Amino acid sequence: MDSQVDNLIWKLRRRQIVGSRLTAIETLLVLRQYITKAKFTTIDQLIQKIKGIGARLVAAQPTEPVVGNIVRKVLHHIREEYKTAANKPGSSIQSSAFSLRNFVVSGQPRHQATLQKTEARDHLLRSRSDWHHDNHAESLKPVIMEAIQDIFDELETVYESVSKSAKDHIHSDEIILTIGKSRTVESFLKAAAHTRKFTVIVAETAPSYGGKSTAKALASAGISTFLVPDSSIYALMSRVNKVILGAHAVLAQGGIFAVSGSLMVATAARAHSTPVVVCTGQFKLTPLWNLNNEYGSADIENPDAVLGFDEGSLVDKVDVVNPYYDYVKPELIDVLITNDGDHPPSSVYRLIKEAYDDADHEL
Amino acid sequence: MSKQERRELQEKQRAAKEVAKAQPAKGAKAANKPSQASQDNQSSKKLSKAAEPSTPSLGASASAKSLNATSASTSQHNLTGTEAFGLRIFSHFGAIKHPSGPAKGDIHPAIVRLGRQFAEFAITGANARCIATLTAFQSVIQDYSTPPNTTLSRHLTTHLSHQINHLVGARPMSVSMANAIKHIKVEITNSDIDMPEQNAKDELCHKIDLYIRDRIIVADKVIRTTALRKIQDGDTILTYARSSVVEKVLLYAHSKGREFSVIVVDSRPMLEGKGLLSKLSSAGIRCTYILLPALPSIIDEVNIVFVGAHSMLSNGAVFSRAGTAMVAMMAQERSIPFVVCCETYKYSEGIHLDSFTKNELAPLSVSIPAASSEEVQSEPNLQILNPLYDLTPPTNITAVVTEVGVIPPSSVSSLPFALGRQFI
Repeated sequence: MDSQVDNLIWKLRRRQIVGSRLTAIETLLVLRQYITKAKFTTIDQLIQKIKGIGARLVAAQPTEPVVGNIVRKVLHHIREEYKTAANKPGSSIQSSAFSLRNFVVSGQPRHQATLQKTEARDHLLRSRSDWHHDNHAESLKPVIMEAIQDIFDELETVYESVSKSAKDHIHSDEIILTIGKSRTVESFLKAAAHTRKFTVIVAETAPSYGGKSTAKALASAGISTFLVPDSSIYALMSRVNKVILGAHAVLAQGGIFAVSGSLMVATAARAHSTPVVVCTGQFKLTPLWNLNNEYGSADIENPDAVLGFDEGSLVDKVDVVNPYYDYVKPELIDVLITNDGDHPPSSVYRLIKEAYDDADHEL
Repeated sequence: MSKQERRELQEKQRAAKEVAKAQPAKGAKAANKPSQASQDNQSSKKLSKAAEPSTPSLGASASAKSLNATSASTSQHNLTGTEAFGLRIFSHFGAIKHPSGPAKGDIHPAIVRLGRQFAEFAITGANARCIATLTAFQSVIQDYSTPPNTTLSRHLTTHLSHQINHLVGARPMSVSMANAIKHIKVEITNSDIDMPEQNAKDELCHKIDLYIRDRIIVADKVIRTTALRKIQDGDTILTYARSSVVEKVLLYAHSKGREFSVIVVDSRPMLEGKGLLSKLSSAGIRCTYILLPALPSIIDEVNIVFVGAHSMLSNGAVFSRAGTAMVAMMAQERSIPFVVCCETYKYSEGIHLDSFTKNELAPLSVSIPAASSEEVQSEPNLQILNPLYDLTPPTNITAVVTEVGVIPPSSVSSLPFALGRQFI
């Protein structure tokens, strides 16, 4: 079993797995395998073991926050399932109606289930001894596997779910600008093209030039596409109706990590009062805050793509920097389109509270 | 209408029809569409010009022109809906120019060579193009001899106009060239009729030399000394693409012993910054090289931004290499001084509000291919656009360094007045 975890760790380290969705799926597969084989007497044991794996995976590649998100999501589901099972006989504690105290404590006025969870956790923290009576912990396995399958299905269909509302966001004859290579954005635009006729301008996004393959894919789907160099983004922005960005990760304050160049696009859009739309799956919501690192990049890539060795002696004399991600502030984003509805960046923290358990923020 | 008149009219119409028939056949040979359209226009213009002498009445050429116009418009209507929409957005940028064919008419060999160099982007940059044009004009003027029954001051301007048209055919004229040419034309019309021809030509060439010296070379020297005062020891200076003036400023500051490092920001389609990078680093300046998307990650380390300009507009906006506006925006966002180095002869009257009203597309043949091996062929729905310029709004510019001093962008409009009208 450990070999599987190690395998993933090495793949992450060597950057053999890149891209949020692929990383998420791989992580989930490893966790599923682990849980199927795991031996545990209490649910706490299982949670601690998964946390341990999660911590190792996150440490292996800190620039892929999705790994941690999936671990948290799995943990959240395990806790949920355990709670529902544990509370079945004596659900009397959960009769509490809404009160300001409950709201402040839980921050989740929406459904009782989550309320139950936090209540139960408080309860659990107070008396650890409660954990010992769960001789049915192992019997929860099938339910947990089912929950994991749900996450899996969510990941499998994330593009379709994000694209559902595409036609509500794009109207006829619009000019859309996008950068980089994001499968989410690509499927979003393709879905919109079923019902709308519009033009897409794709910035080629040096030095990875991911924009090229996006432009190709869109054009072959019958969308009128323009491929432009990054330098002309500001020049063209006055004619652009909407900017659509993909995200690498969405942070708790509503900002995103996205391919380098996104910040400039978003700033240029703000200068022209053009709306900025971010398309993302909810598995990219990350319970992290980026407070003091407003402009730094999360990852620095190989400079070869910027200034290769074919430049000769020049390479020895100069420094070359090739940052891979930009952090885009929430103030520059107008809407996040996710597989579960549209949200303003200001409510991301709430989504995160719903999606993960507070106890799992630190793995 | 007499019989003879009617017959003449019929002949003219027949000639016009032949003109119209001849051109689609020519156009069909052209491989791709945009060039076809431009060639159509060119060839039809030439043909209608050729037809004019033989049928010297307005009627024939007018009808021929109207025919050309309809054929041009139908060729545009042939495009499918989406394509037409896409094209419409950028249509006014002008069709991508291809190196013009063998020179027609009385074009001086120096101009023919220059036209090729312009078209192949062997000579780029407002200053370089302007100097090259003026130097070529000197040889044009020296080889010129006034035809009988006219004077140099009257005829030379029209002779030069043909040369200019040839250059414009190769690549749209830069503002610097336009200003310089305006200046020369004034000088030509002002030249003394009674002066012997050779003397007049020598004097014109001398005046061109003066123009290059005063407005470009000396101006750059003044700018570099002025800009030096804005560079402190330990500064990190950021610059975008390659400007000859900025290059001079940085090299001069280095030679004066200032300790600073330079961040060169660059972007496709031209990747001109590499040239600047090798110049600066071989001079011993510490350099960092990044591509434009990486700018936000590094801009916090920057103390001052220096860029060059293609032209200054009267509202203080600066028309410059595409990407400059983006650098200005980021610098403004982080409250970093954004300084434009620009000679006053690049002043352009009028105001543009965005980069769409006036721009130029880099032909695909000259744009540097991307490092990645993946190449994009033109599909029916995919078009590749490489705008060459963008417009930096005056709000994002801290100061403009000119040879008359460091001025805020709002004062650019007073330059012609300060210099005396005739100098701009």
